[in-house]
Amino acid sequence: MKKINVLGLITFFVLVLVNLPFLVIIPSSFTAAGYLAFPPEGFSWQWYEMILDRPEFIDSLWISLKLATVTAILATFLGTLAAFALSKYKFRGSGIINALMLSPLTVPSLIIGISALLFFTRIGIAGTFTGLLLAHMLISIPYVVRLVLTGLSSFDYTLEKAGYMLGAHPFRVFWDITLPLLRPAIVSGMIFSFLTSFDNVTVSLFLVAPDTTTLPLAIFTYMQETLDPLVASISSVVILLSLVFIVLLEKVYGLERLFGLNSQSH
Amino acid sequence: MSKRLSVTLLTAPAMILLLGVFILPMLMMLLLSFQDENQAFSLHNYSLFIQDPYYLEILWRTIRVSLWTVLVSLLLGFPVAMYMAQATGKMRGIVTMLILAPHLISVVIRNFGWVVVLGEKGWINETLTSLGLIDQPLRLLYNELGIVIGLTDSFIAYMVLAIATSLYAIDPSLNKAASILGASRIRTFFSVTLPLCLPGIIAGTTLVFSLSMSAFVTPALMGGTSVKVLPVIAYEQIMATLNWPLGAALAFLLLGSTILLVTLYTKLIETKRYKEVFAS
Repeated sequence: MKKINVLGLITFFVLVLVNLPFLVIIPSSFTAAGYLAFPPEGFSWQWYEMILDRPEFIDSLWISLKLATVTAILATFLGTLAAFALSKYKFRGSGIINALMLSPLTVPSLIIGISALLFFTRIGIAGTFTGLLLAHMLISIPYVVRLVLTGLSSFDYTLEKAGYMLGAHPFRVFWDITLPLLRPAIVSGMIFSFLTSFDNVTVSLFLVAPDTTTLPLAIFTYMQETLDPLVASISSVVILLSLVFIVLLEKVYGLERLFGLNSQSH
Repeated sequence: MSKRLSVTLLTAPAMILLLGVFILPMLMMLLLSFQDENQAFSLHNYSLFIQDPYYLEILWRTIRVSLWTVLVSLLLGFPVAMYMAQATGKMRGIVTMLILAPHLISVVIRNFGWVVVLGEKGWINETLTSLGLIDQPLRLLYNELGIVIGLTDSFIAYMVLAIATSLYAIDPSLNKAASILGASRIRTFFSVTLPLCLPGIIAGTTLVFSLSMSAFVTPALMGGTSVKVLPVIAYEQIMATLNWPLGAALAFLLLGSTILLVTLYTKLIETKRYKEVFAS
């Protein structure tokens, strides 16, 4: 039993370590002092009130939420359609299409960001919301395809057949049989796309203009110049928002399953 | 509807996006990396990399930092994976959740947390100073150590998961058989567990290495302006110096050297295993 205790101790240490950033940020956002300190000195909401005086953070939060939502909806739609084709039909070139759908995961974000910048500059959408949206959809689609394909691999197509035999319209079969059975895979694809977009820095970095800056980038830029409790209070807001989606994801699909897929893809 | 039409209609939207926003731009970027100032074909950007010791030094630093990250993640991650493999369902779930959840929160925020902990006036330095253990703050940030800490925090989950998955697959009766045959725990570990989870270790180390090599945000925030790695240099060429061909070439050189090193590493291990199995 002694062996387990040593392993348990190391595990506990690692778990504290990877969660330490949050354990430190949230308390220090409530500091009454004018500078960043941990443990915090006193208690106040002043750094949260400060956020309201900084329109750049409010604006970028709004852009991030809008971008992540539209990305999630469109990437899930496109990815689900493609996954359906890949799973349901045997056709020549399906292997290539499948590999292509997952390929953005195997290339460093740095290269995706730079190549998108070059291309978007040429066609005139660099720095626009549309450009950001296209790039974020690109990095989210592989996850959706993977999740929905996994969902479809255990899907029983005789259920669809039964629907047809009982005289249901193909659309009705899709809406009442196929979609509900795949809901966990599709919903988690959507949540994961949302988080992928909401967290992204490396790709966005090359594609934003001052009026399309996303929240993680606004924090990134601010942090390189000033380190004050304002970063802590904004970060706490983001942590809280992300936590809502993480809990949802855990409930709908389970993080372990999700990351099992995720880690094989690289 | 014919099968071909269905397939085309279903895959077309995603394919157009992938070809238009990913494959085509990447080809453009590759072409651009072979251009000189007059837009003529030239190998200058690539030969510069080999000739100029500055870039080689940066590449070596990038590799060094990534190797340290792999080593620390392996040393800390392996015991966690072992613990998860031995734990019961509920405990395993909790550990998985706690190691994976941070992964879904922006890396910028996690790095900021580390700045609060490791900074010159950070938690560790203030504590050590107030205890009278140190006179002047330790430099834990804005150097290679800072980058390694940040990268390990970012990528250790991949290492743990890769190894844990391979450990889950080991038949527990093998351990029992070994101990019945009189093998000590240590012997069992080295002769049974370790060889069987080697694929997991290879997957984990390769993954963490590749991710560390191309990481940009953590080195920028925790390495500061004096300790630069290749992705940061490439970014500066693109966004600050506006030398796009050189920036593109640097990014491809980074990708190329990562693939080369990973291939060498896996080949080396495979040959070694092959010899172990067949030479004796």
